[in-house]
Amino acid sequence: MSQLNYRTINIDVLDPDASINFPMDTLLPATLPAPTTSSAAAAVAGEVRQLLRGGDPAAALRHVLDTAPLGGDERAKEVHLAAVTEVLQGIRQAEMSRVLEGVCTGEDGGAERADCLMKYLYKGMASPVSAQTPRKSVSPQSTGFSQIQGRNLGEGGGGQQMSVLLSWHEKLVELVGTGSIVRVMTDRRTV
Amino acid sequence: MAAPEIHHLFHNPIADHSFSPDKSTLAVARDSNVELYQKSGAKFSLTDELKGHEKTVTGVDIAPNSGRIVTCSQDRNAYVWERTPSGWKPTLVLLRINRAATFVRWSPSEQKFAVGSGARVIAVCYFEEENDWWISKHLKKPIRSTITTLAWHPNSVLLAAGSTDSHARVFSSFIKGVDTRPEPSAWGERLPFNTICGEFLNDSAGWIHGVSFSPSGNALAFTGHDSSVTVVYPSAPEQPPRAMLNVTTRLLPFTSLIWNGENEIIAAGHDCEPYRLRGGESGWQLTGTIENKTGPGAGTAREESALHMFRQMDLKGQTQADIQLKSTHQNTISTVRVYEETDGVLRKFSTSGVDGRVVVWTI
Repeated sequence: MSQLNYRTINIDVLDPDASINFPMDTLLPATLPAPTTSSAAAAVAGEVRQLLRGGDPAAALRHVLDTAPLGGDERAKEVHLAAVTEVLQGIRQAEMSRVLEGVCTGEDGGAERADCLMKYLYKGMASPVSAQTPRKSVSPQSTGFSQIQGRNLGEGGGGQQMSVLLSWHEKLVELVGTGSIVRVMTDRRTV
Repeated sequence: MAAPEIHHLFHNPIADHSFSPDKSTLAVARDSNVELYQKSGAKFSLTDELKGHEKTVTGVDIAPNSGRIVTCSQDRNAYVWERTPSGWKPTLVLLRINRAATFVRWSPSEQKFAVGSGARVIAVCYFEEENDWWISKHLKKPIRSTITTLAWHPNSVLLAAGSTDSHARVFSSFIKGVDTRPEPSAWGERLPFNTICGEFLNDSAGWIHGVSFSPSGNALAFTGHDSSVTVVYPSAPEQPPRAMLNVTTRLLPFTSLIWNGENEIIAAGHDCEPYRLRGGESGWQLTGTIENKTGPGAGTAREESALHMFRQMDLKGQTQADIQLKSTHQNTISTVRVYEETDGVLRKFSTSGVDGRVVVWTI
């Protein structure tokens, strides 16, 4: 141990008061739903697809937002994001405002659904691949680096998906204001 | 509703402001000094400066009865200023903190004051006669991050604190020999120092910017960076609250709030104008803005001559320079304070903000 390089020791890890040791789970509310699995998310995706095919996009959107896996693992969240994206792409531009008004207003949890949809819009814009093309695995390599994928903006499905998300975003902000965007940033119940 | 009284003091942010009880003196925190303004006619003019802090002053509060001023700053110090024939004399307070002091308020009894800090403690300070100085006791226990705001319960024992760990908490700051034993309430019966009487987190969990007890002290309201206001009605000691109501808004976050009676809250913040919320134990809702849009921006749409219009288009490429907000404040409101009240019902309140304005509003 005579050659121990003290400069490379991350002392913040050893200090219980350091900010990187902040217990993030203390920011999760007690009302957080129980964790769900990816198979449950896939089942929801199936139900949603059925509603969408049955010609009831509002019910599909309502259902997919009500079942958001706030407490789920990463895989479940990914599967659910694909389902939400599918619903959003399945609703025509002309119908957007009407559907949003039905789903995201009203006393029965409309505001929560609006916040949830806003989270999905931002998550969708942050993730690089479109829902149709199956995601290539971007799992971190053992070296600690990950293969960074291009955002393929403006070409094929990616650009089209982005424009769908942006027009939803515009309509949603019109309806529920900037407060919802601020809550996407603060809320620890991620989707 | 009478038009608001606008005092544009300077072009710097006002971190905090406080009026003396007779409303003739106004103290504002500007950079590393506190400036005292005296009312002369309808205007306030600068008369005195309290110099002593080395870094940005974050809080200032004038005690209504004794007239003493307490200030705190990012230089980790707090001073109590007393008026002497030769000017204002500061007394250093031993805060024992190693991070910036962020907020300070006198207790209603004026025997104590509380200083919030980035060192994850609240220093509750009181005067010790025998040693002739202000000393502090630390409220420490479950605080996990910087204290951003504080509010006193009318009994001067309970203290509400908001923090960047997204929790609003109610503590007991009972100090033997200084405080009289408080009446038992829904918050607690026996209240030794650092008793936690409540710890609240709302669902979307933003940094807490403002806390306030209702006039009776039986309800607590807090607002955070999630653009929501939460009102808590405690039931009994050690029990979950009777009701915890969350109002999410479509606005930018509020930074400060006060109660008007038991059924109305006034909040203001990044949207640059004060808003009103109404409700009770069964539910709360945002009812709208208090401003009637006669701010400096609204009155400028007067008729222009054609020559002027074309000249403006030539010079600036537009006919009207759109550089003013329609609200009275032209930037974020940072502090809302009670100005005039009777039995908890407000008649006037004051706001100050990043635009260097102090505004007195009549309800």
